[in-house]
Amino acid sequence: MTELLQNLIDGLGRGSIYALLALGVAVVFGIMHLLNFAHGELITIPGYLTYWAFQNNWSWWTVVPLIIVSAVLTSLLIERIAFSRVRGAKDFTLLLTSFGVHFIVAAGFLLYVGAAVKPYPRPGWFAKTVSAGSLNVEVFDLVVIGVTIVVLAGTTWLLQRTMFGLALRAAASDFDTARLMGVKSDSVIRGAFALSGFLAGIAGVFWIMREGQMTPTAGIPPMLQGVLAALIGGLGSLRGAVLGGLVLGLAEVLLRSWLPVGIQNLTTGFVFVMIALLFIFRPGGLLSVPQVERV
Amino acid sequence: MFPNSKRDIAFPFLGSIFLFVVLFGGGLIYQTILGNGSAERLVTTMLVDAIIVIGIQIYIGNTGILSFGHIGFGAIAGYVFAVYAISPEEKLKRIPTAPFGLTETQVSPLLAIIIAVAVTLVFAVIVGIGLARSGAQSGSVAATVITLALLFVTHEVAKSWPELTGGNRGGVSFGIGESLSGRWPILVVLFGSLIVARLYGQSRSGRLAIAAREDNLAARAMGVNPLVQQMVALLLSVAIVAIGSSLRVWQIGSILPDRFFFDYAMLTLVMLIVGGRNSVTGAVLGVAVMTGARELARRLGQNGFEVFGIGLDEPPLDWIFRENLNSVVLGVAMVAFMIWRPTGILEDWEFDQWLYRKIGRGSETKPDRLSELETIPDATFTASDISVSFGGFQALTNAGITAESGEIVGIIGPNGAGKTTFVNVITGMVEPTDGQFSIDGEPLSGKASYQLSRSGLVRTFQNLRLFGALTVRENIETAALVAREHRSDRAVRDVDALMAEAGLWEHRDRRARELDYGNSRRLELARAAAMAPSFMLLDEPTSGMSDSESITMIEQVRHMAATVGAGVIVIDHDLGFITGISDRIYVFDQGKVIAQGTPAEVQANPQVQAAYLGSAAIT
Repeated sequence: MTELLQNLIDGLGRGSIYALLALGVAVVFGIMHLLNFAHGELITIPGYLTYWAFQNNWSWWTVVPLIIVSAVLTSLLIERIAFSRVRGAKDFTLLLTSFGVHFIVAAGFLLYVGAAVKPYPRPGWFAKTVSAGSLNVEVFDLVVIGVTIVVLAGTTWLLQRTMFGLALRAAASDFDTARLMGVKSDSVIRGAFALSGFLAGIAGVFWIMREGQMTPTAGIPPMLQGVLAALIGGLGSLRGAVLGGLVLGLAEVLLRSWLPVGIQNLTTGFVFVMIALLFIFRPGGLLSVPQVERV
Repeated sequence: MFPNSKRDIAFPFLGSIFLFVVLFGGGLIYQTILGNGSAERLVTTMLVDAIIVIGIQIYIGNTGILSFGHIGFGAIAGYVFAVYAISPEEKLKRIPTAPFGLTETQVSPLLAIIIAVAVTLVFAVIVGIGLARSGAQSGSVAATVITLALLFVTHEVAKSWPELTGGNRGGVSFGIGESLSGRWPILVVLFGSLIVARLYGQSRSGRLAIAAREDNLAARAMGVNPLVQQMVALLLSVAIVAIGSSLRVWQIGSILPDRFFFDYAMLTLVMLIVGGRNSVTGAVLGVAVMTGARELARRLGQNGFEVFGIGLDEPPLDWIFRENLNSVVLGVAMVAFMIWRPTGILEDWEFDQWLYRKIGRGSETKPDRLSELETIPDATFTASDISVSFGGFQALTNAGITAESGEIVGIIGPNGAGKTTFVNVITGMVEPTDGQFSIDGEPLSGKASYQLSRSGLVRTFQNLRLFGALTVRENIETAALVAREHRSDRAVRDVDALMAEAGLWEHRDRRARELDYGNSRRLELARAAAMAPSFMLLDEPTSGMSDSESITMIEQVRHMAATVGAGVIVIDHDLGFITGISDRIYVFDQGKVIAQGTPAEVQANPQVQAAYLGSAAIT
């Protein structure tokens, strides 16, 4: 029982990070039908800045805002340089553009920073645990879960109660009609990328802390988890993205604890197989958005 | 299988020889000029890459579905090949505890390749079913993510199952013992894959897959089941990638998880995209161009070069020309092409088809107009008591029509009358809440749209859905291919004659996307007729046409229907057009059939006048 509870908290902690990443992916997907394979770069670029900052004796108090701000700026910059030029293009083009952006950034790091692992210190409280009876919970998980709840509440408020949120939801449901109703496409798209960058920035703070180091291709795992979580939840559904993130996090942790010792290494493989099964039996994801075929 | 043996077999064969000679010949010249071992290795690598890229082209090019997973399939094949081909002594060092007694097993490289292909195909079937379930079609995002997930699973398993794969220990990877001596297996396979890829593109399955790539809905309306053709393309494509990957392992002499991962997936994709993913010629061109570009970047990156006396390794140029420049080149090429030329250098251009048009087909004479059928086979379309409600809204209430072959039945009604819902029901797009429809008693309700058209009910679309990248002739041929298989009891008319009939003979080699509006409409009509339908369902065939064009259209519809002996059900809101073309008319209003009869009867009906002009008009 204790073990289960501990796993649940661990899984929710992991899942919260995935949920933030997936929500960022879903917001952009909703607005321009772009599945952003470059989403992980919103973590690698702030990640290398983190390394640089610690080389220059910054502390986590100043690095955290640096990560969030740089994630937002990176997101806006990528939109401006690459994605704004393929707006309205075919899905095929959009997918490959984002994939190419990922590759350019990763190759850029390889070129100018090098392939070597770049380490930086984790915060002092990172490895601490709190105990309640026989339950040992990592402080890190609790902080992640707490911050995620606050951020999700804030995002919900933003989407439901503000003019920007209304414009974003309208544009996500029907971009052309929203434009005819006076929604400015430029500002709503940039807003979506800024929001996506902000969410990735929050997730990035935790991801970067947990990793403790950066490599040129470190963006791939967070990108993949974010994209998969968005897909598990049902592409196009923001709630689904959050749900998908949590489910993915829980599945990883629970599987790792249930699998026999010999094949624990293969957890990721099993998670993928489960995702494949989910798609076979529920192709649209958990909260699928009904797609009407247009004639 | 092949509509035209000269165009679809002989010339693709010639074209494959040409592509093979150009690629291999170019490589030979390059290595002769440089005359060193590294140039030789580069050429061998290029030839192996070409096999894999051509394999990928068969899937991505013909279905339009972006796949990262082919390199994942390549990893499966590569490991299976290595595990079987490696010597037991070598295996005792690398994988002494391999499961299934594999440590002691060794087979010849050829047999190992066959085993690798077989095992990989099993995985391909499973993934293919998953893709089909996800509703994969051109540009599908979910399908792409599934393939991406496959790439990661194979990589993950390769890394974390060292008992079988040797894991990720750098330097202690598989050593096959003897590397590929001489290039002949690579050359044979390369030539074979070129021919397979080109023949597939021209084959029935390839044509239907391409039609679905261009417009999935229209392809289904022409009796194509895209999922079947996608599976065929996937298996063929994976088989070639599996052979290519085995050769890659053999050639390099070892395998590591990272050899078949992101970087290689990216490399092969960029090669395919840059040249033009829709054509095999493009794939070959892309392989050559990107191999050259990367080699150039690699050499420029290895400092010490001088151009016009300026050292590339001195500031500020050293900022650009440094090691690993070739990997940036890949990313930049990908994004640049997506922004400026997403269809690649060659778009849909295929060398052998160009050659065929230039020298192969000789003079063509315009066929005579088609004669109308003397005896029209009997057929009856019945839709009865169709009701549809969306939530609380009753879109259709007990609506029904009948139509006989040889007859033109019009359906008319003001906006919101339920015409579109009715069309959607009898084309299989909307499930009716109640009611059935059938042809000659064969129930059609609940069938998929590709089954409906095979049963003889073929539709056109209000907003034109042609296969844009295909020529006029290929558009009609696609329908004829399906008709020959599923409508052979009916009058399947000659493709050339249908083109002449529709006034499209002069445009026969133009791509459908280049046609003007009127010709596009006529092509859609001819394509529907090529299906040898029992009934043609025309959805607003004159929308966007001028009055005089509409009048011409009446004659064309009548004649085209008579040449294939089809009945016509035509939906329009233009009262003049409907009364001009129809033998009988059904008038819809507010989800119900409010009147039926000959045009004169319907026009005289006060209810119809009320629905059309408002009740004030009656008094």
